[in-house]
Amino acid sequence: MARAAKAALVLCMDVGFSMSNSAPGEEPPFEQAKKVVQKFVQRQVFGECKDDLALVLFGTDATKNPLDQHDQYQNITVCRHLMLPDFELLDEIQNQIHPESQQADWLDALVVCMDVLQKETVGKKYDRLNIALLTDLSTQASPDQMDVVVENLKRDGITLQFFFPFPMEEDDSGGDWDRTGSSQPGTRKGLSREQQQGQEMVKHIMLGLDEEDGLDEIYTFRDAIEKLSMFKSIEKRPMAWPCQLTIGSSLSIRIVGYKAVTDEKLKKTWITVDAQSHQSHDVKRETVYCKDDDEESEVPRDNIIQGFRYGSDIVPFSKEDEEQMKYKHDGKCFAVLGFAKQNLVHRHQFMGTQALKVFAAKDDEHAGVALSALIQALDELQMVAIVRYAYDRRSNPQVGAAFPCIKPGKYQCLIYVQLPFMEDLHGRRFTFPSLENNKKFTPSETQLSAVDSLIDSMMLVEEDEKGEEHDTFKVHHIPNPAFQRHFQCLHHRAVTPDTPLPPVEPWLKAALERPGAVDARCQAPLAEMKKKFPLKEVEKKKQLKTSAQIFGKSSEEPDPKRAKAEEEEEEYNLADIAEGTVTSVGSVDPARDFRCLIKQKSRPFGEVCQQLTHRIEQLLGNKNTHYYMKCITCIQTFREQSVKVGNADLYNSYLQSLKTSIPNRGLQDFWDLLVQDAVTLISKDEVEGSTVSKDDANQFLVAEEKEEEAAAPVVEDTGDVDDLLDMM
Amino acid sequence: MADWKDFHQNEEEEGEQEEGDEEGGDYKITGRDSLVFLIDASKEMFIKGEDGEPSNFDMTMQCVRSVYTSKIISSHKDLVALVFYGTEQSKNPRNSFKHVYIYHDLDEPGAKRVQDVDALRGEKGAQLAAETMGSGETSLGDALWCCSNLYSDIKLRLSHKRLMIFTCRDQPHGCDSAKDRQARTKAGDLKETGVVIDLMHLLKPGGFDVSLFFCDIVSPPEDETELGLQVEPCGKLEDLKKRVRAKEQKKRAKARVTLCLGEGINVAVGIYATAVTLRKPFATKLDRQTNEPVRSKTRTFQTQTGSVLLPCALKKAQVYAKKQIVMENEEVVAMKKFDDPGIVLIGFKPMEKLKLHHHIRPSVFLYPEEDKVTGSACVFTALLKKCSERNVFALCRYTERRNQPPRFVALVPQREEADQAQIQVTPPGFNVIFLPFADDIRTLDIPHCPIASGVQVDKMKQIVSKLRFKYRNDAFENPVIQQHYRNLEALALDMMAPEDTEDLIMPKVDQMDRRLGPLVEEFKDLVYPANYNPEVKPAAKRKTADAGGGADKKPKVEMPEDELRAHVQNGTLTKLTVPVLKDACKQFGVRTTGTKKQELIDALVAKLGQ
Repeated sequence: MARAAKAALVLCMDVGFSMSNSAPGEEPPFEQAKKVVQKFVQRQVFGECKDDLALVLFGTDATKNPLDQHDQYQNITVCRHLMLPDFELLDEIQNQIHPESQQADWLDALVVCMDVLQKETVGKKYDRLNIALLTDLSTQASPDQMDVVVENLKRDGITLQFFFPFPMEEDDSGGDWDRTGSSQPGTRKGLSREQQQGQEMVKHIMLGLDEEDGLDEIYTFRDAIEKLSMFKSIEKRPMAWPCQLTIGSSLSIRIVGYKAVTDEKLKKTWITVDAQSHQSHDVKRETVYCKDDDEESEVPRDNIIQGFRYGSDIVPFSKEDEEQMKYKHDGKCFAVLGFAKQNLVHRHQFMGTQALKVFAAKDDEHAGVALSALIQALDELQMVAIVRYAYDRRSNPQVGAAFPCIKPGKYQCLIYVQLPFMEDLHGRRFTFPSLENNKKFTPSETQLSAVDSLIDSMMLVEEDEKGEEHDTFKVHHIPNPAFQRHFQCLHHRAVTPDTPLPPVEPWLKAALERPGAVDARCQAPLAEMKKKFPLKEVEKKKQLKTSAQIFGKSSEEPDPKRAKAEEEEEEYNLADIAEGTVTSVGSVDPARDFRCLIKQKSRPFGEVCQQLTHRIEQLLGNKNTHYYMKCITCIQTFREQSVKVGNADLYNSYLQSLKTSIPNRGLQDFWDLLVQDAVTLISKDEVEGSTVSKDDANQFLVAEEKEEEAAAPVVEDTGDVDDLLDMM
Repeated sequence: MADWKDFHQNEEEEGEQEEGDEEGGDYKITGRDSLVFLIDASKEMFIKGEDGEPSNFDMTMQCVRSVYTSKIISSHKDLVALVFYGTEQSKNPRNSFKHVYIYHDLDEPGAKRVQDVDALRGEKGAQLAAETMGSGETSLGDALWCCSNLYSDIKLRLSHKRLMIFTCRDQPHGCDSAKDRQARTKAGDLKETGVVIDLMHLLKPGGFDVSLFFCDIVSPPEDETELGLQVEPCGKLEDLKKRVRAKEQKKRAKARVTLCLGEGINVAVGIYATAVTLRKPFATKLDRQTNEPVRSKTRTFQTQTGSVLLPCALKKAQVYAKKQIVMENEEVVAMKKFDDPGIVLIGFKPMEKLKLHHHIRPSVFLYPEEDKVTGSACVFTALLKKCSERNVFALCRYTERRNQPPRFVALVPQREEADQAQIQVTPPGFNVIFLPFADDIRTLDIPHCPIASGVQVDKMKQIVSKLRFKYRNDAFENPVIQQHYRNLEALALDMMAPEDTEDLIMPKVDQMDRRLGPLVEEFKDLVYPANYNPEVKPAAKRKTADAGGGADKKPKVEMPEDELRAHVQNGTLTKLTVPVLKDACKQFGVRTTGTKKQELIDALVAKLGQ
């Protein structure tokens, strides 16, 4: 692995009295500069950056630096020597840097910084030495040393950055750096003579160091704060994956792959600590296994073996056997299975969490040419290579597509993405009802034109006067807000431990929103959309009804209480059904539905009874023993519930009318069953309101035999159910 | 190295959760899916087609088997039943229904069941069916009733109930209108309890007329425009499988959220996962004595006092620059919150702005939820139509669940497409493509890229054209998973050895070579110099070039034998480097198979240690 680049940085901040001056309502330059320093150090700490850092203050009341002698280099303090930044430094910055009342020569301070870099880097190796100077340039600096300073900077390879509370003044040679924004507050037209002079000197120095781009390293505090607000996560060095692309048995091309895009996660995970001691070793997690029965007796660890489900079977399968029998392959591989048309490989079918870029092996001209031939051929034919990809012997092989990617004048490569296996799609090839062919959903012309103007107003890619395209919302330039927030909170907690977490930073919030210009532009079309497309939220209640109308679907309803219930415990439960799921007496289990409805009390007793008798009549119509059994259960339930409720009339009158209709409808078999089960009328003894005596009730079934003869002259089977129901 | 591995544990767990985890929406799954195959076993079903085409019965069995096995792998908790009607024999609880034969009760499919179905396939299968069940009278009403009992006997909550009738007879009861009526009533009852009845009608001489009888039996289509009844019967196994597959699974939203176009314009949408990486399942822990699954309980202890720590007695911490930063559990969770779950429209971009390689995770699918917000489907359709016409995608901010940070997504329009058989191949809706943040993109040092000449490219084009095939996304089985299940199947059924699996993602090298013929050599001649061998490292090659010819090998310092023996005796061979050890092996004629340091040392010790 290549050694990570390491830098030595000195932050040099002016804390002199002029830094506290500001126009009313404006943040003093001192505060701004402090923020810059703070943010910068934070970023270094959380980035776990290996760069060393020193902090030099000037304008301090005291003097503390190695060059302090003969009244030279006064009021300059080396606050921290060159070392890794840590929270102590952050603490110091937070609590110990205050505006002070002296002034010091910024050029002197620069020399002190150079001295620090020179002396403290001895014996260590750095790739970059840098000094960042934050000042308002209010002190008179003596320019006589300037050229010597530039020479020394050049000699030691030290780079400089300047940060001012105001943007640099326009000047003929200034070129394009008005982008620092002259309209920003904090611009003070009337810069003092010292400041103007200072600016000239800075320009002189910077251009002396780098004639062309020297002035690019001059920033305003405001710019810097914005830029530094972004926590930069640790940059990962892309790892090369050397392999061979093979086509058939004898054509191979040496390649190297790099992960180019991937769903990046934060490396550090949370550790669990004891709330009191804040120690992780005070906490121990222990897992025990127990039998899945009522006693839950513990099973010793040695008695645990592993198994797998094969549908309903659980197959014991030891680790060793599994290892021995599992799929094995030859390891690292990038083998072409064939070539396919690009339009058959859809973007939305990409699987996995990464995209690789594949180049020819480094320094292998021939491999480069061979791969280039493949890339160009694929590009011209609009095809892709379907490949078998295996990272190494231990990882599972994948099937994927290698797309050609040509950046004219820059590079050519293949882009590899994983494609689905058949198993990944199983049960997911959903069909959805048609939208455009559905008359109910077809938008009108005016509706369509409303959408058109919405799209027009919301285009994020715009052309400027020169015909150049500008993408105003590049997602891949936005830092992951989760990481930003994470570090913001960590920092807050580290520096101010006892305060609640702060809100999301405004800049981050803004970065996630629609750009201001677009937002302003789309308001009218949005209002139009709102007018043209009526949207109405369906009331929850209604939704419940529609899905519950049919009992069987009740389980699909959102049911928060049930959410956490284990799937194993799906045991069917009457009480659950009673919870607003049954709305009418169905035909599958009318007795149960009836019971539920009575229990719910959401409908009048009479209505529910009517539903039940309706079902009974329906079932009887089938003239089939299976249905008879069901009917008897229904009648029994009807009786039982009527007794419970204390209303015998409906039941009694139904049973009586049923009895009279038996001969006419040829339901004698059914009646016999009813007699067998002794389902009779409800007597006074059971329900007070009943008009039937106990004897009558007993007689009810017996007397039937005589009546049968009397009623013998058979009337046509009208199957007229309504008559019976009308009596209710 | 670890950097490259994308198979780490965390992800696996996430994948596991994905299906069950519906936190984001208010939509919960609380039951099992169930599927009943109700299959006609009349004589007509066993008639073989012309040219030895499999009989309808055989085809149906193959279809059932493929559903069984795929259920085992992908959704083993679903319940499946296999029932025959029109049989001579009867087999059902209390045998109260004649001519109905329950082959498999409603239960999770297992190895035994797959075997059972296998036994019913082919010539022998037909024979077995004739012996055990026979063909007899038909009463679809009884059969449907019997099936409804299957449902009511189940003690589990069922969320989705489907019944598929496989038959080649459009008038199963001949002209018995009483039976027809009974069947209709029973079908009505079933439908009322939420059972969806589908007809998989098969080829019949003279054509299958759905309108004669079955139109009253099957469930009405999902909406008025759906084609619902396939007018054409299925003649091919592939078609049948496709048709069954399309119906078999209930589509289920991962979440239901609002798509917010702007202030007050909230469209209800469902989010569907159309592809989820299926991984080898986790092992279940079993008790050695009973082979029963055990339950695991995890407790957290205070190591000093031994007392059990409740979640409130725990905090989370991270260490930076040697400082421990401590947070409450709730803070760690709340830190991730930015928005409520939902999709917020930012704007639109032309399609070409969607970069192919900006891929960080599989996409999901968006479809309107008209029953949550009426009017949703209309806005959605208009948006879909216009985006598609203008070739733009909608850029949105998407928060999947509560306490989850947002991601930006591209909503890519997808218009509906159907194949010749009028089966929908692509549904209408938006594909949701996840976009990377700055952190997800790595800066690469782009190596120097030589450009191939026209001749070279043309030769490669010939190679490419020779190896063309039509890519289908379901063409490749995952060999790892297939092998795993074959192993389990073998163990479950006490088979001697697992069935062979064909590794479909292995290049068919022989075939490729044959097709390419001399093209490979011709291409190599064009791009590779004579002495170039891509199989070896170029490092050696470069050295030769540097050395300016002649001396092809660096003169080696051979290790004196006694020095080596001393190392062997003192056990200090480990101090030597691998190349030195290799040379030593060569020097003493030691043949080694391995190249690992320990292997070399072992070989040397074996040779010189005697």
